[in-house]
Amino acid sequence: MTDSNSHIGRRSYLKLAGGAAASAALAGCTGGGDEEETTTAAEETTTETGGEETTTSTPEESTEPFNVTITQGQMPSGLDPQDHRETPTDIVVLHAYDGVLTRDATGAMQTALATNYERIEGENAVRFDIREGVTFHNGEELTPEDVAFSINRVVDEDVSFASPQSDQLAGVASAEVIEGENAVKVNNSSLNPIVFSEFATYLDVMQQSWVEGNSKAFISQNMNGTGPFKLDSYTEDEEVVLSRYEDYWKEPAAVETLTFRAASEASTRVNQLLQGETDVIVNVPPQEVQRVNNNENTRVAAAPSTRIIYNAMRYDVEPFDSVKFRQAMNYAIDLESIVQNVLGGFGAQTSQPTLPEFVGHNEDLDPYPYDPEMAEQLVEESGYAGAEIELNTPVGRYLKDLEISQAVAGYIDELPNVSASVRQRDFGSLVDELLAGSIEERPHWFLIGWGEATFDGGLVMTALLSSEGLLTTWQNEEFDSLLEQAGNQSGDERDATLQEANTLAHEECPWIFLNQQFSVYGVNDSIAWEARSDERIDAYDMSLK
Amino acid sequence: MSLSRFLIKRSLQGLFVIWGVITVVFGLRFISPGDPANVLLPPDVDPEVRAQVIAELGLNEPLYVQYWEFISGIPFGDLGLSLVTRTPVASRVVTKLPATLELAIAATIVAVIIAIPLGVVSATRRHEPADYGATVFSLVGISTPNFWLGVMLILVLAVQLNLFPTSQRPIGIDGILLLVLDGDLGAAADGLGTWLWHITLPAITLGTYFTALITRLTRSGMLDQLGRTYVRASRAKGLPETLVRYKHVLRNTLIPVITVIGLQLGTLIGGAVITEAVFAWPGLGTLIINSINARDWPVLQGSLIVVAVGFVLVNILVDALYAYVNPQVAYD
Amino acid sequence: MISERTIRNLRRELNRSFLAKIGIAVVVLIVAMAIFAPFISPYSPGQQNLENARQPPLGFSTKETKEVTKMDNGSVVIEDGQVVTETQTVYTNASVAHPLGTDGNGRDILSRIIYGARTSILVGLFGTSLAALIGVLVGLSAGFYRGRVDDLLMRGADIMLAFPSLVLAIALVGVWGQAQAPIPDPFVVSGIAPAFRSAIGLSTGMPDTIVLPGTVIVVVALVNWVWFARVARGEALSIREEEYVKAARALGASDGRTVLRHVLPNAITPILVLATIQVAAIILLESALSFLGFSGADVSWGFDIALGRQYQSTAWWISTMPGLAIVVTVIGLNLVGDWLRDALDPGIEGEGGV
Repeated sequence: MTDSNSHIGRRSYLKLAGGAAASAALAGCTGGGDEEETTTAAEETTTETGGEETTTSTPEESTEPFNVTITQGQMPSGLDPQDHRETPTDIVVLHAYDGVLTRDATGAMQTALATNYERIEGENAVRFDIREGVTFHNGEELTPEDVAFSINRVVDEDVSFASPQSDQLAGVASAEVIEGENAVKVNNSSLNPIVFSEFATYLDVMQQSWVEGNSKAFISQNMNGTGPFKLDSYTEDEEVVLSRYEDYWKEPAAVETLTFRAASEASTRVNQLLQGETDVIVNVPPQEVQRVNNNENTRVAAAPSTRIIYNAMRYDVEPFDSVKFRQAMNYAIDLESIVQNVLGGFGAQTSQPTLPEFVGHNEDLDPYPYDPEMAEQLVEESGYAGAEIELNTPVGRYLKDLEISQAVAGYIDELPNVSASVRQRDFGSLVDELLAGSIEERPHWFLIGWGEATFDGGLVMTALLSSEGLLTTWQNEEFDSLLEQAGNQSGDERDATLQEANTLAHEECPWIFLNQQFSVYGVNDSIAWEARSDERIDAYDMSLK
Repeated sequence: MSLSRFLIKRSLQGLFVIWGVITVVFGLRFISPGDPANVLLPPDVDPEVRAQVIAELGLNEPLYVQYWEFISGIPFGDLGLSLVTRTPVASRVVTKLPATLELAIAATIVAVIIAIPLGVVSATRRHEPADYGATVFSLVGISTPNFWLGVMLILVLAVQLNLFPTSQRPIGIDGILLLVLDGDLGAAADGLGTWLWHITLPAITLGTYFTALITRLTRSGMLDQLGRTYVRASRAKGLPETLVRYKHVLRNTLIPVITVIGLQLGTLIGGAVITEAVFAWPGLGTLIINSINARDWPVLQGSLIVVAVGFVLVNILVDALYAYVNPQVAYD
Repeated sequence: MISERTIRNLRRELNRSFLAKIGIAVVVLIVAMAIFAPFISPYSPGQQNLENARQPPLGFSTKETKEVTKMDNGSVVIEDGQVVTETQTVYTNASVAHPLGTDGNGRDILSRIIYGARTSILVGLFGTSLAALIGVLVGLSAGFYRGRVDDLLMRGADIMLAFPSLVLAIALVGVWGQAQAPIPDPFVVSGIAPAFRSAIGLSTGMPDTIVLPGTVIVVVALVNWVWFARVARGEALSIREEEYVKAARALGASDGRTVLRHVLPNAITPILVLATIQVAAIILLESALSFLGFSGADVSWGFDIALGRQYQSTAWWISTMPGLAIVVTVIGLNLVGDWLRDALDPGIEGEGGV
């Protein structure tokens, strides 16, 4: 059995696509005041050129070489940083390629290849000042032309190819060099309030002459970036070996050789960690945690992720068209027990569509308590006693997805007046149905996960619960108007509106609220490293303990 | 019919089967639910981009054009491009072949080394404890699903006792050969050790069914031969018993055994697929399963073609050898 | 069809062979277990108890002192990106309530094995029947008409044979996805089983449907019919030359009638022997597909082995027990197959294991 996320993309297409689509939606309807605030705040801390050091310091006189091996669930699909949509690939290529902006471990925005970023007054455009003295791994210097080219390569299909990442820079129309200055101007098709957020999460800068001088096949087998590690060797489906880039524009990394491998079975990864064959492994399942903890040289690192796991119930079909029935489903399950026993505690109970770390989270909402009598009574009142329902679930896509589904259906099946079963679905065909244009084509009841790298509850609710949402299974006028209202607000006002929307969702139960997923890693004790909440593994932040 | 005519006829039949295989595999894509473009593209991508990619992949061509494109490249080793990595399928399949082949060969060697002596002992000591032991072993061996055997071996020998690694193939025979060519014999010896350490459990897992099968065949073949008149005649002539048994009897027993091994190649490859899944062995089986999970149909199609064509070729080879060794039986 | 001589041979072989008796006993036991699952299963196969997950089988209770993650409100406690642990003494106790232990969701393994027998037996029987139907039809036509029909059908069979059956099955199920047909369980729907259970004090709430894995049945038949076709063809080829068949045709009997009256009855013995071996092979194939997660079956031995794999370091019994069930069943079927083969000596071969 494969563990969570082991197939094509650790971030599912769903997540990425949804995040991007939702960002685009937001770009169309917000005034974007709070984004400005973030920008200024970020500028204050990061505008002094080249001054910002990360928390890691290189051990001065370390005699033994510090090599790190990271084992993921799967290998990168290729090394072209602009031609993929998967976290495992991202994690590898981000060591060799930098963006103009980046994020720290807590998700706060930071500068990278840009030393300064600002909106250009009176235009739907932004400006990035490019850092000087940065070199690519082939020794040549980074120019603003390279940055503009990289942006255009993503957003403009006429520049080299149609990048699957074009929607990650939704709202960005083109980029050009500002004549006579070491800066790039990015033109947006509208105000695009989330443009800096997009650049902090996405866009890897490549060298124009290197891209144009080499074939597409060569580019997907080789790397030439400005990042802290350069490529030594790449064996497709087996390993990627990187070594420290000594001329990095910050301090060179502490890690000398960095190797990426893959093992799709979680138990295999754990065994490799315990046998010292690897130093960091992803997705340690709950049942393996003890083994990692009780081994002398290894420990477990974890962080709440930005992914929420939920059960959608279609509002337009029997029996889920009854609010009472939907509420009953939430009362019927012992969520605390599912989190503790199925997930081994590696998850947090949810009470609303918005996660605690996100904008719009309502702290006053508690998860539904386990109350089977109440559930039974609500089912009676709903008029759907005797209903037979079937839960569609992916297998091995999310942490314990099948086990969670079986537990949920098991609890509901225990109600004397409802019978529930689980139907395992091939992820591809399930996604096909979920993405079908209309609500009518979606399964009546399904488990799915949704990650949102932008930490914004509004985006989650728009994509998953608004009438026009990409994956929606619900239609509620009051909810729609709250989201619309939030779209025209900023700061605390918007937060309050989103909280209200969360309260409504909590009461109306378009979902069975399940868990926030945790990212769980196994780490060799000799390495100092903290888990990040955005699923990235940054070897530049690793040091010897 | 002469040998050469037989071979020509057999090759033509083989060609027909290969064409059939390719056509069946081509047809697979049309019975699969879902749009292949959905594998490639995020669902909310611009419709124009989607149309462009579909055109690039030739998915909007008429069926016969697609069929021709598919089939015409194959003789030149062109199996198309992977939907996910967009690299040539042929090179991905070829890089996986050594791992699967060495696993299959290792399993066959394990099977032959254990099974033939076991079968002989079992036949020559009929109704003694050794015979019962061998019979029970072979019965259990052919009845055990090899994936479960693999899981149990990992459970006991790797997880509990830590004697073997649970999975992976850090180095292959191909890699070891390269080291030898480089003249780095020390590294090659290390590599060989690592390789043996890693391949032991998968080879036992895959080989057990064949060990059991060949033990059975050897035993029954041997018993059959021992009862024949020429054996009694040889004994009567005063030939030493060991010579009778091991020279004449065993030789005659082995011909059908080897034929069956040839016939069971398909089972061996099928077994390799699931063994690879259990041990994360990076061969064709892993590639096939991953390509199904990723809905990367070209890779699945390419792997199927390579497996099936390889199987047909090996069968022709086995037939030819058989015809050469045993002319009067072979031609039907 | 089945002559007295045949029955005599079967008897004689059965009396001679101890193993044949064991085989028949095992097969009868497993089939009975599958049929009467709603009466004898201690619990419903889906009935969970999360607080009682991963309980060991009888005789395997443990007590260990180890590092355990600290919990708060059901979730682990995280500080600075690291998981906080504390040392605790942990007891895992076996109980008679679950003699073979419980799985990751606290479901009773014995009950799942009993219900899993249904999936295996159903797929084995239906898959083999369908394969036999296709194969016999193709084989008899090929052998009876010979010439072009024979060439065409047998080259088709060669194409099928070029694919290793497991590989082809994986590809077909992978491509098609899983279709399942729930059929009502007569014992539960009629109320007999629930009444019986409450009378002897067993828990009620057994599933009222049997899930028939449709795609898997079709696929295992599609990859295995060739063996039947070969046997049927061989028989047809030899029988059509018999004088009485020639005579029947000369007297103007239609082809269909000739095949039904004269050819098929003579081919039935080797086909039956082959079918016995094929049930075993198909059960193995189904378990392999389920193990890989391609069958969609929720209660299946192969699938439970796969589910148990993730617990191999902490709860070995979850994947061990269903595997033993497969081995015992397949041994039983193989012994019955050996018995039939020895008694009837049809001289056939067929692809076996997985």
